[in-house]
Amino acid sequence: MITQEKQQTKTFVRFSPLQRFLHLVAMLGFTGLAITGFSLKFSAQWWAHSFAWLVGGAGHLAYLHRFFAVITYGCVVVHIIWLFYFKLVLKGSITGPQSLFPKVQDIKDMFQHMGYFFGKRRTPRFNRFTYWEKFDYLALFLGMNTMGLTGLFLWFPEFFSTLLPGYFINLAQVLHLYEAILAVALKFVVHLISTHLRPETFPVDKSIFNGKTTREKMMNEHPGELDSIEA
Amino acid sequence: MKALMVKSKKWLPEQKCCRLRQSNECYGGRIGRRLLFCLMLFSALLGSQCLEAAITPDGQPGWFVDMGRFAASAHGTFSCEQCHGNMKRGGTMHPDSENPAFLKAYANREYNYQRCQSCHKPSYEQYLEGAHAKALMKQQTDSAAESHKLPKSKKAPTCGNCHSGHYTRAHLSRVEIGRQMVSVCGTCHPAQAATYLDNYHGKAAVNLGDKNAAFCTDCHGAHHCFSLKDKKTALAACQRCHPEATEGFAQVVIHPTIQDLPENDTEKRAHVALIRVVTLLMAIMVILVVGFFYGHSFVWILRELHEKLRKHK
Repeated sequence: MITQEKQQTKTFVRFSPLQRFLHLVAMLGFTGLAITGFSLKFSAQWWAHSFAWLVGGAGHLAYLHRFFAVITYGCVVVHIIWLFYFKLVLKGSITGPQSLFPKVQDIKDMFQHMGYFFGKRRTPRFNRFTYWEKFDYLALFLGMNTMGLTGLFLWFPEFFSTLLPGYFINLAQVLHLYEAILAVALKFVVHLISTHLRPETFPVDKSIFNGKTTREKMMNEHPGELDSIEA
Repeated sequence: MKALMVKSKKWLPEQKCCRLRQSNECYGGRIGRRLLFCLMLFSALLGSQCLEAAITPDGQPGWFVDMGRFAASAHGTFSCEQCHGNMKRGGTMHPDSENPAFLKAYANREYNYQRCQSCHKPSYEQYLEGAHAKALMKQQTDSAAESHKLPKSKKAPTCGNCHSGHYTRAHLSRVEIGRQMVSVCGTCHPAQAATYLDNYHGKAAVNLGDKNAAFCTDCHGAHHCFSLKDKKTALAACQRCHPEATEGFAQVVIHPTIQDLPENDTEKRAHVALIRVVTLLMAIMVILVVGFFYGHSFVWILRELHEKLRKHK
């Protein structure tokens, strides 16, 4: 019992303060974007209607959407600057085994993990980031850039239609809508389940908010990283 | 009540004569014929109501003028004669009960809309310059029999097809007029109304009531109703709200539909096809990715629940 308590008190830093802050801002920005965006898309529905009325009409809805877009994309910019800083100044590795860089091993891990779902195999020895965490990160990283680009098309159609034919505005609209549906369907359901709501972590995994994780959790979920730290 | 009883008692025995159909004294036969006539008249009225209901803007027109709604309308202070003249046509009073053809007459087409211009001259002149008048001229010059066969939604409209002379209200707000407009224009142009409502303009204007957003006539012109297939006209329409718009901007597809699009407009057909293909591909991608990860999460939860329950045992 005592040893277990000792083990639990030993904590590891999983997320730096900057990462936690960026996650918080992006989380709020993303939620704001989803609410304001879908209030326009589904503006024929009563709930969207009443939300638009609450914020003061279509003009304010557009303003809020762009405000959230700017702060959310701001996170991406800060993150990219940090990546350069991490690589060039701190001499860190952004493609190594403990990074978020996708590898062939992730696909193998995925099949092994799905084998575990059906009771055929053991859980893979995950490194610092599992394949679903990498997917979450990369999908959001790519998504924010494409959503940002298509969003700019819709924000400044007069400018972009001088560079490209007008129907690219329509294509941007289609991509913006479907990527939004994809992002919301993944982030608000799959991301929440895999981080907080599945029985192992329920009700909440605080590590993204306080940055800490326990040795026990590391042993269960990121044994590969624990080995590399303690080696 | 007593009188009724007496009456019914009186003709009850005489009902026998119904068998003798030719008899002049057959009350039952006469009543039957009158009933049949009333039924026919009623169904004719009902039928004409249904026909007109399809085309008039407020959705509740009828054979009779609802005086309550008429009094509240923009024309409510007018007397009938001010618009309908002395109600005589060809020497006979207009609702000519001797002539059964008046029941078949289509009121919207019978009315002489040139009368409108005495008060609404600019609108009338715009109409004459516009696309609807052009279509009307074309249909009139085509053989009369052929244009008669056209379905109602393909007949070129005159004033009364869009404006209800009896019930149009005055001093409506821009958004109220705009919302009516979408359903009025949508009666004959349903695909255009649907695509407009799916567009930012329609969502902001109609759904969210933003008076700065464009309704049908803001681009197509009130009474002109230009199709905007001409690129210069289209650009001029865009520039009313988007002063920095250039030629490329006018290529933005507002109505991604090929409904009513001429066969030779291959450019727009190609754009619409491209938009549809991209939409389809994106939808497939979203369904596959979301489907995979939802299944992944679901089975994962089942497995972890299973593990938890096994440990508890």
